[in-house]
Amino acid sequence: MPTTPFPFQPMTDPATTSKQPTIFEEQAEILANVSYPGDQFILRLHAPNSAQHAIAGQFVHLRCSEHLPLRRPLSIMQTDRERGTIDLLAKAVGDGTHALRDQPVGTKLPLLGPIGRGFDLSDPDKHYLCIGGGVGIPPMLFAALSLPDPTRVLVLAGSEVPFPFALAPSTFLLPGIGGNTIMAIDSLEQRNIASRLASKAEIYGCFNGFVPQLAANHLLALDPTARAQRVLLACGPLPMLRAVADLGRQLQLPTQLSLEEYMACGIGGCAGCVVETEEHGQRYFRRVCVDGPVFNAAVLPNL
Amino acid sequence: MKKSSTLEVEFAGLTLQTPLVLLSGCVGFGEEYTRIAGFSNHDVGAVILKGTTLEPRLGNAPHRLYETPSGMLNAIGLQNPGARHVVDAVLPHLPWSETQFWANANGTSPEEYGEVAAIFDDSPVSAIEINISCPNVKAGGVHFGNDPAMAAKVVAAMRKRTSKPLITKLSPNNADIAEVARCCIDAGSDALSVINTLVGMAVDRECRRPVLANISGGLSGPAIKPVALWKLHQVYQVAAKHGVPILGQGGITTPEDAIDFAIVGAQAIGIGTGLFYDPLLCPKLLEGMDDYLQRHAIARWSELVGTLVA
Ligand SMILES: Cc1cc2nc3c(=O)[nH]c(=O)nc-3n(C[C@H](O)[C@H](O)[C@H](O)COP(=O)(O)OP(=O)(O)OC[C@H]3O[C@@H](n4cnc5c(N)ncnc54)[C@H](O)[C@@H]3O)c2cc1C
Ligand SMILES: Cc1cc2nc3c(=O)[nH]c(=O)nc-3n(C[C@H](O)[C@H](O)[C@H](O)COP(=O)(O)O)c2cc1C
Ligand code: FES
Repeated sequence: MPTTPFPFQPMTDPATTSKQPTIFEEQAEILANVSYPGDQFILRLHAPNSAQHAIAGQFVHLRCSEHLPLRRPLSIMQTDRERGTIDLLAKAVGDGTHALRDQPVGTKLPLLGPIGRGFDLSDPDKHYLCIGGGVGIPPMLFAALSLPDPTRVLVLAGSEVPFPFALAPSTFLLPGIGGNTIMAIDSLEQRNIASRLASKAEIYGCFNGFVPQLAANHLLALDPTARAQRVLLACGPLPMLRAVADLGRQLQLPTQLSLEEYMACGIGGCAGCVVETEEHGQRYFRRVCVDGPVFNAAVLPNL
Repeated sequence: MKKSSTLEVEFAGLTLQTPLVLLSGCVGFGEEYTRIAGFSNHDVGAVILKGTTLEPRLGNAPHRLYETPSGMLNAIGLQNPGARHVVDAVLPHLPWSETQFWANANGTSPEEYGEVAAIFDDSPVSAIEINISCPNVKAGGVHFGNDPAMAAKVVAAMRKRTSKPLITKLSPNNADIAEVARCCIDAGSDALSVINTLVGMAVDRECRRPVLANISGGLSGPAIKPVALWKLHQVYQVAAKHGVPILGQGGITTPEDAIDFAIVGAQAIGIGTGLFYDPLLCPKLLEGMDDYLQRHAIARWSELVGTLVA
């Protein structure tokens, strides 16, 4: 336990708490709820305030059913500001997400959003490599769609169940990615954003392995100048995040990871959703909801 | 909602603009909820800041929370930057014109509680809540709250160091809460806070481990409401005799809950877990409370307090 005051205070530094963007509470109507194999489902919600203000990497805190009053955090995958909609991709894993999957179109659910610090996509000289695993893919799609220049982004997505997206053979050639690894996410392809897929489930046209390996193959095949321009963004299961963090460390590339933790308030009030960080040689417990969910991998030595 | 004087209450010498008090540990250091569109500090009589110790505390490792039927467990472990930092770096940023802010003092010895009281005494907080009932720390906390003599020592140590109203927060995790209440009043507590969380645990059955890194945690939310009412009832018998007001709490999420607590003896109404369910709960509570008073032709909230027909 530190005996000197913290240089930053997770719960009290005015720079991190006051004057932050507004969070909205809205009754979000389910406009579409489509199931996919592997207990996955995509929801389209009418939540105009979240749609208007969300940035990639942020999430909404959604009540899944009347009987489960604590909300569940779900990443925003895509927004349509004009129509006021947001799309989410979730996997039914427990009571809350099962209840959510079973909600019919037309249901209104209390939703708090948009919440959290998103990805830093601000450097126009960088090229962003977005690595998503399973239900960690949504924020990677949002990040890719947010970048004004589609040539500065590559999405690599991994899944052990069928992808809940239309797939199409890619028209982009990518260093280090060859052979049969030809399938891409069609909606990205149509916007001239390159993508590739990885799966051990023998899905046609996918890299047969885990997605961090696919990322490594690509990065190692780049010439050193191109490689040095890369920023790694990742969201997905912990083993995947660890592999991406290792890769970033080995290749000395800036790495931003989106983390998960159990939440209650979702807005920074309870200090329940913490992860351990190390900053300037000091240990902290930072709140995933408002200090994250995106963290610089450099502050997560004990991930 | 528009403020109505029927809901203004006196509490330990303070005038609260409404009976609602946002509870310690649920609203950070007072700034977080103001980010939510539509949230207003004017709806509450006071906001109690996160439990604060003399030295900074990192708190417990995750997981710190878990949802349970009709409630939740938490084991935060009093993460806070220390009383000095709160007074110097946090309080200056709070919107004092909108509501009152109260401190929540914690320690591992009566002396430490006394030091914390002295630091907050020289600050703009309107009152200091004494947390002798935190179940999530290894030393102090609930161990003091379970022992009437120790509880009194803590209150006395703080009483010596501050003239601000002291509100002692009692634990439901002991045999005779009324006796602890009596000792705290004798030692100089101006008000009581009833109840803190009940101790519980949850199991991750796939891994056969406790869900919470701290193993046990504090149970809050609607699940504890009946226990809270019963403890409040017991404490009220003692407190009423001394004219000591009570901040009732434990699972309040509807206007009906708030009314039940008032009838049993709570002058002020604490909201914690209910805010996690609905961050815009307070105006809804006030509306329902006001309606009830009107329907029953009761002029003021305080006239409802302690009207249980036994
Ligand atoms: C910032 C963030 C973004 C997320 N984005 C997505 C997404 O886009 N799609 C998706 O499918 N899932 C996402 N998750 C995970 C999702 O929140 C959990 O799967 C969900 O909360 C599980 O709830 P449950 O009731 O079905 O499961 P249960 O296991 O029954 O849940 C019990 C409790 O634990 C909590 N919990 C369990 N697992 C997690 C977890 N992994 N993360 C946080 N809390 C958990 C629940 O919220 C609930 O309070 C995200 C989590 C975070 C923190
Ligand atoms: C996440 C969380 C953190 C808490 N932290 C504190 C604390 O620091 N000090 C304290 O006196 N009580 C703390 N409490 C207890 C609450 O203030 C309150 O007494 C209790 O939760 C019962 O009310 P509720 O059912 O309305 O939540 C905490 C409760 C929760 C849920
Ligand atoms: S969930 Fe309450 S602080 Fe993050």
